[in-house]
Amino acid sequence: MNLQRIGVIIAHESRLIRRDITSVMVMLVFPIISIAFLAPAFKPALRQLGFVHANGADHVVPGQAVMAAFFVVSLVVFSFFGEHAWQTWDRVRASSATSLEIVAGKATPRVMLVVVQLTLLLIAGVVVFHMHVRGTALALAPLIIVFALCLVLLGVCVTALARTAQQANAFAFTGMVLFGALGGAFVPFGLLPGWAKPVGPVTPTYWAMRGMRSVVLGHGSFGAVVLPTAVLLGASALFAAIAAWRLRFDEAKVGWS
Amino acid sequence: MDSSVAPALAVSGVRKAYGDTVALAGVDLTVAPGTILGLLGPNGAGKTTLVSIIAGLRRPDAGTVHVCGIDARREPQRARMVMGLAPQETGVYITLTVRDNLRYFAGLAGLRKKQQRDRIDEIASTLLLDTLMARQAQTLSGGERRRLHAAIALLHEPKVVLLDEPTTGADVTTRAHLLELVRTLAARGSAVVYSTHYLHEIEELQADVTFIDQGRVIASGVLKDLVMRYGTSALELSFEHTVPERLSLLPGAVVAGTSVTIPADDPAVTAAQVLPNLGAAAGLRNVEIVRPNLESVFLAVTGRRYDARTEAAA
Repeated sequence: MNLQRIGVIIAHESRLIRRDITSVMVMLVFPIISIAFLAPAFKPALRQLGFVHANGADHVVPGQAVMAAFFVVSLVVFSFFGEHAWQTWDRVRASSATSLEIVAGKATPRVMLVVVQLTLLLIAGVVVFHMHVRGTALALAPLIIVFALCLVLLGVCVTALARTAQQANAFAFTGMVLFGALGGAFVPFGLLPGWAKPVGPVTPTYWAMRGMRSVVLGHGSFGAVVLPTAVLLGASALFAAIAAWRLRFDEAKVGWS
Repeated sequence: MDSSVAPALAVSGVRKAYGDTVALAGVDLTVAPGTILGLLGPNGAGKTTLVSIIAGLRRPDAGTVHVCGIDARREPQRARMVMGLAPQETGVYITLTVRDNLRYFAGLAGLRKKQQRDRIDEIASTLLLDTLMARQAQTLSGGERRRLHAAIALLHEPKVVLLDEPTTGADVTTRAHLLELVRTLAARGSAVVYSTHYLHEIEELQADVTFIDQGRVIASGVLKDLVMRYGTSALELSFEHTVPERLSLLPGAVVAGTSVTIPADDPAVTAAQVLPNLGAAAGLRNVEIVRPNLESVFLAVTGRRYDARTEAAA
């Protein structure tokens, strides 16, 4: 692993992200609009779950932030498939960068992007939507970082499994909705139908929401996020292993035409 | 090639098959530093597969590739450091500026800031990109993009340069500058593998030649020697509709569509013998005397007439 080359790829990928700022803005604008409309509606739901003094934003802000973070899966997918569409993939592969350096260089700025996105959305939640963080806000930091890593590696995994950009995108968006619903990001987990509850814990969303809920609603501190963070780390390792097994750099991928 | 000079590129016994289709059936070639090797052959001959294998983009089923003495299969990263590839398809980041495109690949090649600036300025000036540096690649014309595409491959002054159809789709100016750049690279000591459909470019470059057909090297050597050995004069006749049968039966005659090529030591004498007997009904459209050149070498080694338009379009 050559850190200088990874740095070059990170700088380049950051430049590409800045050049297509619209897709980044969607990661912020989409959840903010959703929060504005949904927050009032969830106040009774939280009361029903026993959080008598809770504001609807206490669920909707973390929920929508976690769901919107899934957009990064598409961004990761595009960062690979875009190279095929632009015919630059062979050029990058013919350079002295290794496969691992290329993946690390593409993943790192997108992990940072999700960390910034989630941080900004939670700050906006507090300032604009009056979300009340009852526990130690700083305890969310490790959870957010590991969740971001998990989603980006899921994106690499989806890239490895899909052959066309359309397949990958469909996979990414279905994942966002399905994981969001099953993991309790959309509707609080306690209100999900009985059949959905046993499935929830297999989604990264469930663990991200569980960690956030324990800090925002449950007065939790660093101890409260240890298990969710560890599980998300395990999921990241699983996605990385699948990607390492299935990602073939010489495989023909069909990019956007 | 001067046998006392260690080759910059040595390919030995390279085989590659895609399922039942054999793309390369044991290719050997060597390129000395400072020389240009023109890689020629019809479509599907295996040229691009060979270039891809040398560049480390595909694994051969058998055989070895050594780049400046480095085993490219065992140490691909080290081999890539001394290689520059311009693939057949134009590959640039269209949302980035020309400078950002160049800067990225210069960085990947390990050039430090000052080196990057100097090399980018030099290559941009050589390929007439210096006034386009702040332009986004998507706003460039086809020829300008093609120049940027080539510039990326040459930024780090590679010892082995692989150019796969570098002038396809290029305008006249771009083509002239690219050919000039290839000559300069060779003069500075780089070994250049130049795969092309355009035979006249190889003649212009005075490059050594390797002809590939159906995955095999069918002829190779210095251009002048090949032309002397295989190149024959010929009389080429084109007709409105069909080639008269008696012409197609002449010894060595090759019919392609409505044209026939008749090998001849003295095409003028052959023309004098053949033309009076044709008659007006034959519908003769054009008569051409072909002197020994790469086209006639191609004809001799493949038994097919070379049609640049067909080759380039495929």
